[in-house]
Order: sequence, then C-alpha cells, then structure tokens
Amino acid sequence: MSIEKNVRNSAGFVPALMLMLLTPFIAAQAPREETHAKAANAPKPALVPFEMLASNHMVVLAKLNGEGPFRLIFDLGAPITLLSNRAGEAAGIVKKNAPRSMLFAMRGEAQVKTLEVGALTAKDVPVIVLDHPALSALGGFLGKPLDGIIGFTFFARYKTTIDYQAKEMTLEPVDYEVKNLMKDLPAQLAGPKVAKRQVLAPGSLFGLSVGEPVGGLQSSGVPISTVSAGSAADAAGFKIGDILTALDGRWTTSIADVFAAAAGATPGRPVEVSVLRDGKTIQFTVTPREGL
Amino acid sequence: MKRWLARIGQPLGLLLFLTAMLSAASFDPEDKPIPDVGKAYRIPYRLTNTNHFLVRVRINGKGPFNFLVDTGAPALYVATETAKKIGLKPSEDDFWTSVDRLEFEGGATLEGIKARVEDPFQLVGMNALGLPGASIDGILGFTMLARYRLELDPTKDRMIWTRLDYNPKEPPVPRRKPGDQPVEMQAMNALGPIAKLAAALIGRQPEDELSTRGFLGVELDAKPEKLGVRVTRILPDSPASKAGLREGDLITRIEDRDLVDIVSARAAVRKVKPGDRVRLMVQRENEAAALKLTVTAGEGF
Repeated sequence: MSIEKNVRNSAGFVPALMLMLLTPFIAAQAPREETHAKAANAPKPALVPFEMLASNHMVVLAKLNGEGPFRLIFDLGAPITLLSNRAGEAAGIVKKNAPRSMLFAMRGEAQVKTLEVGALTAKDVPVIVLDHPALSALGGFLGKPLDGIIGFTFFARYKTTIDYQAKEMTLEPVDYEVKNLMKDLPAQLAGPKVAKRQVLAPGSLFGLSVGEPVGGLQSSGVPISTVSAGSAADAAGFKIGDILTALDGRWTTSIADVFAAAAGATPGRPVEVSVLRDGKTIQFTVTPREGL
Repeated sequence: MKRWLARIGQPLGLLLFLTAMLSAASFDPEDKPIPDVGKAYRIPYRLTNTNHFLVRVRINGKGPFNFLVDTGAPALYVATETAKKIGLKPSEDDFWTSVDRLEFEGGATLEGIKARVEDPFQLVGMNALGLPGASIDGILGFTMLARYRLELDPTKDRMIWTRLDYNPKEPPVPRRKPGDQPVEMQAMNALGPIAKLAAALIGRQPEDELSTRGFLGVELDAKPEKLGVRVTRILPDSPASKAGLREGDLITRIEDRDLVDIVSARAAVRKVKPGDRVRLMVQRENEAAALKLTVTAGEGF
C-alpha cells in the first residue's frame, strides 16, 4: 500500500508516469474465451514465400479477414502476434473509434478470424493491436510500411521450416496447444515469488552417479563418481573419473543437466554418451534398462 | 497493490517481448568453404515461460549460456555481463567484436564470427523481472540463424538445423546515435530500466528449484504381473541392496501406492529425492508373509 502511494504521489517520477501511461490499454481489454482452434485444413506442408528486407528481417504477405495483403515480419523471437492500427482497422479487427492508449496507440487484445499466408489459412489467431515504434521506424527507413509481426501465437501451431538460402518457408500443422501468455503473465507477476520445485526423474536406469563439475565456465562436464557393477553403464565401459560431457546430444555441464538429459532416455533405446578420458573424447553407446 | 502492479507489468512485459530490432543491413556470401554443408544437427531447446525459444551455446569454449532464437534480430548479440564473464572484450574501434568459436548444444559450430556486445532493453527488462524463468545471455539473430535451414516443431524436444552453403555478412553499423532516435524508440529503450524498477517493487520471478530424483538401484521387469513389479537385478552397494531387496522379489507397494505396472512404480517414486526413506512391500518366493522394507534413496541414475 505505502509503496503504491509513494509511486503515485511523486509527480516527477518519470518511470512511474510511464507505467501509468500504459495502464489505459488494460482498461480497454475485454475478457476473451480461450480457444483451441487449430488450422487443420492444411494437412500437408504449405509453402510460404518470404522477402528478405535490407535490415535482415523476413517479411511475409498475409491476408487478414480476407483483406490485404499486409506486410508482416516473421519473428521467431516474438511470443505474440502484433498488428498496426492501420492493418487492424482495415481488416475490421478493431473498430475505428475503439479507444487508444496514449503510448503506442495501443488498442489491446483482439482476434483475427482468418490469417492467410501462402496456401495456408489459420483461424482465430489472437493479436495485439498497437503501433510498434520499431516497426514504424523500420518501415519509414525502408520506404514501405510494415503492418505487424507474426509471432509464437501463430507459428507454434506449425512445424516451421525456414531456408534463407532458398528463401522458402514451409508450415505444417501440428497438434500443439498454444499457451495464452496475455492471461498467464499478469497472474505470474501478481503471484507469490516462490520458486517452483521440480524433481528431474531419469527415464531409465544407467547405473552411474556423477559429482559436481569443476572449472566453472570452462568446465566441459561432470565427473563420474560410481559405476555399478553389472549395470548398463558398466557393460558400456564407463570408468570412475571419466568426465561426462554429453548424453543423448545434450550437454551435461551440471548434475541437473545430466538428469534432464537422462529424463529423455527410454529403457532399451541405445543412447550416445560422450566422455573425456585422459583428455580424449570417447563416444559410448549405452542401452539403459528399466529400473529405478 | 499487487494487482495494480501486475496490471502495469502486463503491458510492460508485453513490450519487452517485441524483439524486432532496428538496424540497417546488407550481406554478401563469403567464399571460404564451409566444411559441414548439408549436415543436420539436432539442437535441444527450452521454451521459456514467456514463449521464447532458448538454445545453449559456448562462446570461445566457455559456457553454457542461454541464447534467444530470434529471426527478428539482425545479428548476434552478447549481453555485456556475459561478455565480461568469459573475458570477451568489446572491440574499441569497431562496432562488432570478433568471436573465435560459437558452439551450439547439439553439435553445430561456427568459427570466426562477429558479435555485438550490447544489452538490448528486452533482455535487460525480462531478466530483471525474471519472467522467462531462465536468464537470457544473448540473442541469435539473422547472421547466425541464416547459416542453417531451421526446422522448429513445438511438439518435438529438438530443433533441426541443417548447415547451408551460405554465410551472411554482419550488417553495417547503424548510423543513428541513440540521441537521434525517434522519441518513441527512446521510450522503448527506457523500458529496460523501468522493468528493473518494477522488479524492485514487485520482486523478481525466481527460477525453478531443480533437484534430482533419488536412486534405488533396482532393475525391473517391464512385463506386467498380476500385481506388482518384478526385480530383475539389484545393483551392488546400491540403496536397494543395503535395504535387503533381492533379485526375483515382487514389489507390490511403494509408499501408499499399489503397483500394477512399471508406470505406477515410476509414478510412486516421482518425487523421491536423495536421502528420502521409501517404504516398500515385497513378496518373496517361499515366504508366506509380505516383507516390509525401507530403502533410503541415494544419488545416481
């Protein structure tokens, strides 16, 4: 209570003011039903052409609710899909008279009924409508406006393959439930700051134990401290003192790493394991067994 | 108070995520031959709480560090803190800093590349709030990603990167000084420090506490029995051996759970940590009564 009051009362507190400027956006936001809609009408990979901008960004042409095409940046680093006010209004995603926040002219959360790229149509894609300053600046610099960013909420519905050399992208629908970040994030911020406990359970039994890594950031792995006689690890040829560097293609630079990698090892399936012995890398194939 | 801060945190967090970066660029293929063209690497990744894809890298043999896979960034960015940790000194006369070797978890390796040592505000902000659930130490942008044919399937635990016969050059140095940027971009750049302030008020999201599951040292038969799970081997000197469990025993119960198959056995010890005492009910041949044994879980897998 007291902190809140302090923040509100100090008028010269620029950052706090910024935060206040951002809040109208939330007021304009309506609760939305969770959707599990999937783009199931394209069973085979759809080819989506893209253009490379001089700024090293990929641009795809997308029709929104049948309107367009609009120029959207395809961004694997963006967790949300974002549209400019211009595109949002033109495609009827937000009403022209919908309230805007002062900063970035944010319109809040909305939903695109159909988003078409190449031969593919995605239905009911959640989007955020706002004028992203970097997009406007980039569009201005390139002399062609950019209308938004395609992010996780779209591409996580697909297996995405990008080939920059061939300038080709393919999207193949997969059965993946896309988490609604806009719903989870406020709860996460408001919730208790208690670390979640996670127990890393191996998927099978190797017959090994490992010690703490030595060498900090230069460490290549963890030392093997025991090899159980008669175990899968014993049969493969591990020795005490070997430095375990990778298991099933995953780095093992901490004990937690080892268990995280072993979690994916199923009984009876051979797994590649790399160790350092006398400074040399040795590859082993281990077939872990059923057990605890 | 918390609700109020969370409402502010939402748009703030949202803006931090938008990683499209502004910078002019062009590229030319280099003519050095690439040794691993056509080779496919299975790259493990982690999807953060904020829906970001992280892969682990070693820079000049040091690491591992979490880097964001970001086609919205034009180049390779190494956070200043990360650079300091590994002794990578930012070049004084060049915008770019040379990196001898960048290794990706899963085996892909690049040599003789350029990085920008800088703290993009998105990273500063997200790390301050602890939103992703893991620290992000840098960004893999276009100049790194374009060397591979990227295959990303969120239902699989690895990406597949296939080396292309293609080496994009790093983009030219942005001409604008920070002061020349449009007001709104300056506002964006202020988001990092703002997030730090917000973190001071509402607290940082802690990273998950990881522990390893306890080790019993029994090999089991996956074949279903009428009741219980059959022990096929006891590893010598293991916790199970010390507790008196024997090969051929039928474990019928672990703690309060009746075992019907191997899946239920796994579930029964799912949260057992090293040092925990685990009560077992065992049927042994030629013994009429069920045995009660207590195993103290050890470390191993």
